[in-house]
Amino acid sequence: MASVKLIDIEKRWGDVVGVARQCLDIADGEFMVFLGPSGCGKTTTMRMVAGLEAPSSGEIWIGGRDVTDALPKDRDVAMVFQNYGLYPHLTVAENIAYPLKVRGLGRAERAARAREVADKVELAHLLDRRPRDLSGGQRQRVALARAIVRKPQVFLMDEPLSNLDAKLRVSMRAEIRRLQNELRITTIYVTHDQIEAMTLADRVVVMRGGVIQQVGTPTEVYNRPANLFVASFVGSPPMNLLPAQARGGVLEVCGTVVRDLTGPEGQALVLGVRPEDIGLVAAGQGDVDADVYLCELTGDAVLVTLEIGQTRLCVRGDRHLRFDIGQRVGLTLPRAHCHLFDANTEARIEA
Amino acid sequence: MMSQSLTVSASSRKLRRSLPWRGIAIWVIAALWIAPVVWIIATAFKPRADVYSLAVLFTPTLDSLLSAFDSPYLLGARLLNSLLVTAGTLVMAIPVATLAAYAFSRFRFPGGQVGPLLLLATQFLPPVIIVIPLFVVFRHLDMLDTPWALMIANLSFVVPYATWMIKAFFDALPPDMEEAAQIDGASRLRAMWDVVVPVALPGIATASIFCFVVSWNEFFYALVLTRENAVTLPVALMSARTEQGDAWDIMASMGLFIIAPMLLISRFVQRYFVRGLVTGAIR
Repeated sequence: MASVKLIDIEKRWGDVVGVARQCLDIADGEFMVFLGPSGCGKTTTMRMVAGLEAPSSGEIWIGGRDVTDALPKDRDVAMVFQNYGLYPHLTVAENIAYPLKVRGLGRAERAARAREVADKVELAHLLDRRPRDLSGGQRQRVALARAIVRKPQVFLMDEPLSNLDAKLRVSMRAEIRRLQNELRITTIYVTHDQIEAMTLADRVVVMRGGVIQQVGTPTEVYNRPANLFVASFVGSPPMNLLPAQARGGVLEVCGTVVRDLTGPEGQALVLGVRPEDIGLVAAGQGDVDADVYLCELTGDAVLVTLEIGQTRLCVRGDRHLRFDIGQRVGLTLPRAHCHLFDANTEARIEA
Repeated sequence: MMSQSLTVSASSRKLRRSLPWRGIAIWVIAALWIAPVVWIIATAFKPRADVYSLAVLFTPTLDSLLSAFDSPYLLGARLLNSLLVTAGTLVMAIPVATLAAYAFSRFRFPGGQVGPLLLLATQFLPPVIIVIPLFVVFRHLDMLDTPWALMIANLSFVVPYATWMIKAFFDALPPDMEEAAQIDGASRLRAMWDVVVPVALPGIATASIFCFVVSWNEFFYALVLTRENAVTLPVALMSARTEQGDAWDIMASMGLFIIAPMLLISRFVQRYFVRGLVTGAIR
C-alpha cells in the first residue's frame, strides 16, 4: 500500500505530446480513475507509473520512493491489461503463480497461494486449463487473480472491462470494486467509459489532449464540471450546452430572457443544464419555450429532444410522458443546477 | 433408380471422371521426386558389378558402405565433421539470432530499419567474394581446415537468415505478455526466456530446421576452407571422383548419410513448419 505522486510528468515522442507536464497526488488506498477519450494520455500516464514507458521529464514517486528510473519489476506494482496479457503456454494456475515464481517462492507455497486467490475470483475449477480454453470473463478473472496473488503497492488497470459484453461488465465492475475495498490497495484504473468511472472511483481524473481537466470525486465532477469538456464528457446523455449572454442583470438564452440568472456581461457565455435537471411544463409557463423535435422512450425514462430556434437540447422526463412532434412546451431551468461557462476559455464561471 | 443417377450433379460427375487422372498425376510426380532417392539407396547396397547396370534385382551387400568408411574415403570422420560443424553452427547461431531478432523487433534504433536491412544486405554478397578474405584471415589465425573455420563461415549466412525469420515471429507477438511478465517481477531477459521464447518456439524451431538444412548441405565454404581434417560430407562426395573414374557406389553410400538426417527431421519440419506458419499468420 502506498501513495503515488506524479511531479511535472511529461511524455513526448518527437513533436507529439502524449502527456503535457502534469502533477497528481494519489492517496494511499485510493481508487483513482483516469477518464478521457482515446488518445488523451490516460494510458500513457499509467504506463509511466508502471515503468513500461519512460517519462520525458518529471518524477514518479510510489510510497515515498522515487521510482522514475526504476525498472517495472522493481516498482512493486501489478497490472491488468486490456487484452489481459496472459501467458498462453501456461495453465491458469501457472499464470496466477507466475509473480510468485519470479520471486523464488517454493512450488508448494505457490500452488497454495494460487488456489486461494483463484477461489476468491471463482476460478478454482479451471486451474488446469489454458487461457485459450477460457471465455473472456474467465480470462479477465485470471488476469485479476495474477494481479492480487501478491500484495502489490499499487494496482494498475488498463480498460480491463472493455473486451467484455455489457452484462459481464457490470458484474465484473462490482467485483473489482469489492476486491479493492477488501484489499485497500491503491488503484489506478483507466477507462473511457464514464459510467465505470462514476461507479468505481473514489476520485476521477478527467483528461484531454495530455492535460488533466479536473480531479475530483465523481459527485464533484458530475455536479460541478470544471470546464465545457468535462461537462460534455461526463453524463449520458451529455449536458445541454446553450449559447447565452448576460445583459442588464439578466441572462439571455437563445434569445429568451431568463430571470434570476446572470453572469459577467460583455462576453460570450455557455449555459449548461443536465437533461434530468430540466423540468417540462406547459408552453409559456416555464423559463423558455421550445418545440418537440423527437420523443424517445428508453424504458426507464423518456428522452425528449427539443428545439429552441436552431439550438437542440435534450430533456430526460418521466417515462409516462408523451409528446407530439412539433408540440410547443415550456422548460424550467432550476437555478441550482445551471452551470455557466466562458465560451472562449471554456472554463467554469463560479456564481 | 434412373432419376437418382440423373440427379448426380455435373460437378461431382466431373470430379469422379477426373479422379483416376489425378491419382496418376500424383503418382507420377511423387515417383519423379522419390526415384533418385530410391536409386541412391539401391546403389549403396548393390554389388560393385551391378552399380552401372540398370538391374532392379540384385543381392544386397554392405561392401560399398564398408569401403566408404575405410581409407581413403573415411566416411565416419567426414560424418563426424558434418555433425560437429552443423551442431556448432546451430548452437551459436540460434541464441544469437533470437536475441538479435528480439532487439530488432522491440527496440527503437537510430536509423529505424537500417540495422535489420543491413543485416539482410550482407546476404546479397556472393560467397565467392567473401571466401577470399575469410581464407586469408583463417590462414593467419592458423584456423584453416578446422571445424571452427567452417562454423564461423556458416554463421555469416545462418545468423542473418535466422534473425529475419525469428524477427517475423516476434513482430507478430503482442507486447502485452512480456510487459505483464516484467510487471510481475521479471527482468526483460527473464520475461523473454519465460514468455516470448516459449510462445515463439514454433518459429524458432522452424528457423533452426532451415539453418540445419543449409549448414548441413553447405559445400562451397567447406570446399575452400578445408583440406583433410575438417572435410564435411558434401565435400567428401567429391573425393569419390578419382582418376579411376567416378566411384558411384561410394557416392551413393555417402549420399545415404547426407539424406538420412533430412528424412529424420522431415516429420518435425512438417509439424513445426505448418504450426509456425499458422501461429505467425493468425492470432
